[in-house]
Amino acid sequence: MSDFVMEAKNVFKSYMIKGEKKEGTKVVEAVKDVSLQIRKGDIKLIFGPSGSGKSTFLRCMDMLDIPDKGEIWLGDQCLTKPGVNLNKARARIGFVFQHIYLFRHLSVLGNVELALRQVLKLPKEEARKHAMAALEEVKVTDCVNKYPAQLSGGQAQRVGIARAIARQPDIILLDEPTSALDPELTGEVIDTLRDLAHEGTTMLIISHEMPFAQEVAEEMIFYDEGRIIETGPPSLFFNAPNTDRAKQFMTRIINRTTR
Amino acid sequence: MFEWLSNSYYWSMILNGLTTTVEITLFGVAIGLVLGTLLAIGDIYGGKTIKGIIAIYVEFFRGSPLFIQIFIAVYAVPALLSIRIDHVFLAFLVFGLNSAGYQKGYVKGSMQTILDDQMAAGRSVGLSRWQTLRYVILPQAYRIVIPSWTNEFCSLTKSSAVLSVVGISELTAAGSAISFQTFQPLATWVVIGLIYLAWISAFAKIMDIIYEKKKIPGIELVLQ
Repeated sequence: MSDFVMEAKNVFKSYMIKGEKKEGTKVVEAVKDVSLQIRKGDIKLIFGPSGSGKSTFLRCMDMLDIPDKGEIWLGDQCLTKPGVNLNKARARIGFVFQHIYLFRHLSVLGNVELALRQVLKLPKEEARKHAMAALEEVKVTDCVNKYPAQLSGGQAQRVGIARAIARQPDIILLDEPTSALDPELTGEVIDTLRDLAHEGTTMLIISHEMPFAQEVAEEMIFYDEGRIIETGPPSLFFNAPNTDRAKQFMTRIINRTTR
Repeated sequence: MFEWLSNSYYWSMILNGLTTTVEITLFGVAIGLVLGTLLAIGDIYGGKTIKGIIAIYVEFFRGSPLFIQIFIAVYAVPALLSIRIDHVFLAFLVFGLNSAGYQKGYVKGSMQTILDDQMAAGRSVGLSRWQTLRYVILPQAYRIVIPSWTNEFCSLTKSSAVLSVVGISELTAAGSAISFQTFQPLATWVVIGLIYLAWISAFAKIMDIIYEKKKIPGIELVLQ
């Protein structure tokens, strides 16, 4: 048995941005030799400047973007080996998107049920039971028959979280779950995440919600220019980070949130 | 001028013709939708070869007159293959193949407006690419495609008139026969024209109702 729920070993990923002209095409090295281990019950938080490749790295963890080099492990299974059933693997990983991406044509309940029915092949009643339990967990049971476009941003993202946790995955990956929301709506999503944290859910979160990070994260990971620059407990980053870049970034973030 | 309208013999000709027209257009639109969807998926996910074949297919059916396509299918293909194929069946087939050339564009266009985020969402919960297409992408894309589909239907109904030249007695062929027999071409074509108009308007209305019914709640202007 592997000690880790998930592990990234020396992962590389770059992609091309096509410009208007040929010379405009450039290669972005979003992930350069990144390694990371997550144990059961860990809550790790990745933060860093926008455009630094954090999201690409998280998508690599879920194999939504296939790494150019390196390995992704889910428990004892290497996902980057050819021939692996990635659908089965992804069923064990929850993913929450920055822009939520609910299935627009399905009701709230339908959004949560779809994978239970079609991936886990649960019978109808059982799928409904699990879906309702997940929706209860995120406290949106009052609008299970509404459609995504009828929800507030906060409700929609909580449904996004319910969709990710309904399968009881081994780990949940969250890509800036609150940054696309209006400031007054982030609180309800943070509350939901805090509940999950207290239940011992294993999570890897990209977020800049610093009070939340300080409260729940065991480890914070400062990510810049495609690399992990510094890791440590929240106390390290809030008091005296070792690297200048982390220091500068923390100063900017803390000034912003306390202003 | 319109006395012949009281003769049930002419009405049964009109009715038979209309039935054939309706059958052939519904068949054409349906085959076109199934095949057009497959072509759209092939064009999005296929390799260079598949994309190339699809491009040639679409150019052929979109770039040459339907009349010529049907003529070739009905007269040249059986002769070249030296087999007998029912020409009604061949004409139906060409109708479907032709419509697929157009519908591929509609389906692909509407898929692309939702593809990136909805595909990622579907894959993230463990659905395969096909499952995501089936349960997430296509149900949304078809909703967007309904108005284009109505247009395609109107256009195909009128195009079906060319089938009279290969001896299929659809509505226009019935009109020709009646105008010869009654010596009232103007009156005949006015009546036939009104029947086309009534059928197409009724169908378009039904499609509008379906479009409204199928709208995703909360999305007023359906995606774009």
